[in-house]
Amino acid sequence: MISFFRLLQALCLLLLVSLAAAEHTSNWAVLVSTSRFWFNYRHLANVLSLYRTVKRLGIPDSQIILMLPDDMACNPRNAFPGTVYSNADRAVDLYGDNIEVDYRGYEVTVENFIRLLTDRLDEDVPRSKRLGSDAGSNVLVYMTGHGGDQFLKFQDAEEIGAWDLADAFGQMWEKKRYHELLFMIDTCQANTMYTHFYSPNIVATGSSELDQSSYSHHADNDVGVAVIDRWTYYVLEFLETQVTSANSKLNLGDLFDSYDESKIHSQPGVRWDLFPGGEQEGRLRTVVDFFGNVQNVEVENANATEPGSLKEDLAEISRLAEKWRKRGEEYSAILGNSTQSQSENKKSSSVGLAPKKTVGPTKMAEDNSWGKRLYKTLRLLQKAKPAGCHTTEQKALLVPLICSRLVAQKHV
Amino acid sequence: MTAAIRNLRENPRFLFTRLPNILSFLCIVVGVAWLLLLPLDDNSRRTYISENALLPGQVHAYFTGSEQNIFRGYKQELQALLNEGRETENQETEVEVTPAASNKVHSILQAAGLKVATQKYEYTSAGITHQGENIYGIIHAPRGDATEAIVLVAAWKTADDELNLKGVTLALTLARYFKRWSLWSKDIIFLFTPDSKTGTQAWVDAYHDLHPESVQPLPLKSGALQGAVVIEYPFEHHFQKLHIVYDGVNGQLPNLDLFNTAVAIAGGQMGIGANLQEMWEHNDSYEARLQTMMRGMTKQGLGYATGAHSSFMPYHIDAITLQPKGEGWEDEMALGRTIESMCRSLNNLLEHLHQSFFFYLLMHSNRFVSIGTYLPSAMLIAGNFTIMAIALWMRTGYYPESKPDTPTGEKSKSEKPTKTGAKKIEKETKMNETALPERLMALPLTLVTGLHLLGLVPLWTFNNIFHQYFTTATYIFVVVDIVLPLFLAALLSNGLGVSKPIIPQQYLLIKSFALLLLGLALSTLATLNFSLSFMIGLLCAPLSFIGRLQGPAALRYGVSSLGLVLLNLLSPPMVLLGVCWYTGVSVESVLTQAAFGWDVWGMWTQVVVWCVWWPAWLIGCVQLGSSIF
Repeated sequence: MISFFRLLQALCLLLLVSLAAAEHTSNWAVLVSTSRFWFNYRHLANVLSLYRTVKRLGIPDSQIILMLPDDMACNPRNAFPGTVYSNADRAVDLYGDNIEVDYRGYEVTVENFIRLLTDRLDEDVPRSKRLGSDAGSNVLVYMTGHGGDQFLKFQDAEEIGAWDLADAFGQMWEKKRYHELLFMIDTCQANTMYTHFYSPNIVATGSSELDQSSYSHHADNDVGVAVIDRWTYYVLEFLETQVTSANSKLNLGDLFDSYDESKIHSQPGVRWDLFPGGEQEGRLRTVVDFFGNVQNVEVENANATEPGSLKEDLAEISRLAEKWRKRGEEYSAILGNSTQSQSENKKSSSVGLAPKKTVGPTKMAEDNSWGKRLYKTLRLLQKAKPAGCHTTEQKALLVPLICSRLVAQKHV
Repeated sequence: MTAAIRNLRENPRFLFTRLPNILSFLCIVVGVAWLLLLPLDDNSRRTYISENALLPGQVHAYFTGSEQNIFRGYKQELQALLNEGRETENQETEVEVTPAASNKVHSILQAAGLKVATQKYEYTSAGITHQGENIYGIIHAPRGDATEAIVLVAAWKTADDELNLKGVTLALTLARYFKRWSLWSKDIIFLFTPDSKTGTQAWVDAYHDLHPESVQPLPLKSGALQGAVVIEYPFEHHFQKLHIVYDGVNGQLPNLDLFNTAVAIAGGQMGIGANLQEMWEHNDSYEARLQTMMRGMTKQGLGYATGAHSSFMPYHIDAITLQPKGEGWEDEMALGRTIESMCRSLNNLLEHLHQSFFFYLLMHSNRFVSIGTYLPSAMLIAGNFTIMAIALWMRTGYYPESKPDTPTGEKSKSEKPTKTGAKKIEKETKMNETALPERLMALPLTLVTGLHLLGLVPLWTFNNIFHQYFTTATYIFVVVDIVLPLFLAALLSNGLGVSKPIIPQQYLLIKSFALLLLGLALSTLATLNFSLSFMIGLLCAPLSFIGRLQGPAALRYGVSSLGLVLLNLLSPPMVLLGVCWYTGVSVESVLTQAAFGWDVWGMWTQVVVWCVWWPAWLIGCVQLGSSIF
């Protein structure tokens, strides 16, 4: 029993340390195809393939914004109704039966895309159409379609410019809508699209340089159209064969090193300079940092010391606990007996902040002690107080709660 | 140098007589040279598929194997019915399609699950009645929205009037085969017509509700037609290459993408070579290219329908005919697969073919020139008339009306204007400056308008008399063309009896107006039918340089008589006779075809001949003839 609590203590410490390294706490993916029409089948297949990969690596549908301007599965020209394939072997039906398209058909516009990124949306827009990312979110933005020098065409009707995109990301940063952002684009002259980015923490990569075309990889002779683009094909090949699970330790450096110009038939590019630490630091980000889903928990202001911060609260709790312990000692002195466990507690409390967290549970371990009574009183107090009103008693509760959540998550 | 230029500039004779002649002549020479330069690599371009949606040859064509058995079965059934008919009618040379065979087509289509309908039609032209019955079936796109359709046509008689048994059978087999696919985004219409001249015209007219009373309306329709492919296979043996026929009525052409798709599929996917313009051996040399282009231009200029596909063109439906040619090892299945692949490409279309060129000259199956490159050629030739007309107009304003010895555009006088001569003319003009030159325009305008309207007479005649009289009528017109200009010239020179005799200025005005109209008509025509404009322009080229002759009577008589003889050799009926003699085609058949074109296809070639070329030619002859009187 006691050793278990030791473990908990250690874990709590670990958490605090890792929070100090500023890790992201959620993952979002924005996957955009910008072209419609049957002969652009491959662009939708690109996006759907990537959708499938990020889902496999753990990002839930609720955190994926999928934009598909056309419906290839139901196109009358489709020889295999209801399906979309990104490979002529037709092994995997990308359309399957569990895909959620958030923006479809003519909803896929430049305006909607920018509103989505910057969260300038009406109140009545449903959650599924919102990018709910925050300052702790790693965001993957993947775009594919027909583009040119510093623009990407949307639906044959309009285009998004490199500056538009840069400004949208700039605003996202200002509004704390991402922690780190991986921008990927597969279109002709793709690398020109990220030239104007200026907000920090962005890694950008594209399929082809200025004045270069991006080519399709292969066509399906029965579907009758090209089914996937080259760059996307080889990115996916890497993701599917190397990044086999969410625990993969492969990093972005490995992904970008896998680019083979002789296979891609264009020169892919990577932009590191916006990333703190540049290429050296950026290369170390794991692929699943963007394509997977993290389970980290953020504790607000973990390292702050001002009033109302966690440290302050913990100190307060330890004082409180000390007070109760003294009271208990007094009480037991009156009764004339002291327990072994109390002395154990005393020992451990000397190591610093963290051990104080174990106070609650330890007390609860005793059946007919002060602890249990205290806990009940605190619960009552909590119920009586209006929500959001922080008292020391309430915060005392936080400690066991945090710990138990941690235990639960680490066991997932 | 500058002095010389100033001298020239101040020299009215140079400005109004010599310069226009030089310019006009240069225009013609450059125009012709331009055309001859087109086949060079630098001026022509390689063809390419412009419409992304077409994706030619990207699908695997499955029409093979067991479908061949069905093909053989259908063919045997149809052949038996045809033979039956032939025996009873005892016609060995001309195989008429029997009603039994038509009924068989009907029942096969119905059995394949198509909606089938028929349409009877009758046309009368030049005293000949053409009648027949179209049968057509529609495959409704299983998942499409019936707003668009592709047409596959098989005529019982090919464009060369051969029995197209295998073509019809192939279309029937394809109908049964296509019906089983569920990937059509457009309806597919299978049209079976009795011949290649009338059937499709009647059908496509009725499809757009623009049919004459003698043609039945269509009981069954589909969406807007996006493209049409005509299937021919008029022989038994295997073939070597595909001949793609693409010319439409009035020189209208299908979108180049359709032609390119056919070439790409036949050549690239199926490995069957593609020919055009009956150029069976094309080595891609300059001569071969030029010859191909010239053949295309001839067809375009004459503006007749070259096959069943031609009737679709006026409705802006892109259409081609695929003709198997030569002896080789490609069978009907290969043709079937080509058509299947073409249909899949057309099926991919999202909108009407519009990306590529509609105005082009092909010189090889993968080389062409577009309108921007070739248009200057015909425009320059048309422009020469306009330049001359404007110069004449200016000249009539510059010279006083009473000036008797005005040089009227003879190019024979080549002596350089000496300084004294220029001074003399300057003096004269100064003297006459007070007398404002007044143009007497009533007579020239009336005459030019009248002669243009007179063109309606031969136009009506050659389109409405019975075909037996065409040859006679042509000879009569040759005679009329000799007599009429002389008669008119005599009439004008002697004052018509009601007014004073015509003055030289009026001759110039007549010529000016005539050339102005000609230039206007030809430059407009050049944008619509380049080849026709070019041909007429060349035939009319001498008209820029002839006029009323001056000088001693003997010389005048001699030169103008010779001129008239030469000019008469270039008259429309004489050109017709000459071409018929050269090609060995009877005049009657050409004119019957032309009348048929006018009545059924809506061909405008005769209008250009009789209302643009003929009046201009006539006025030229009158000018020359007037020198005699």
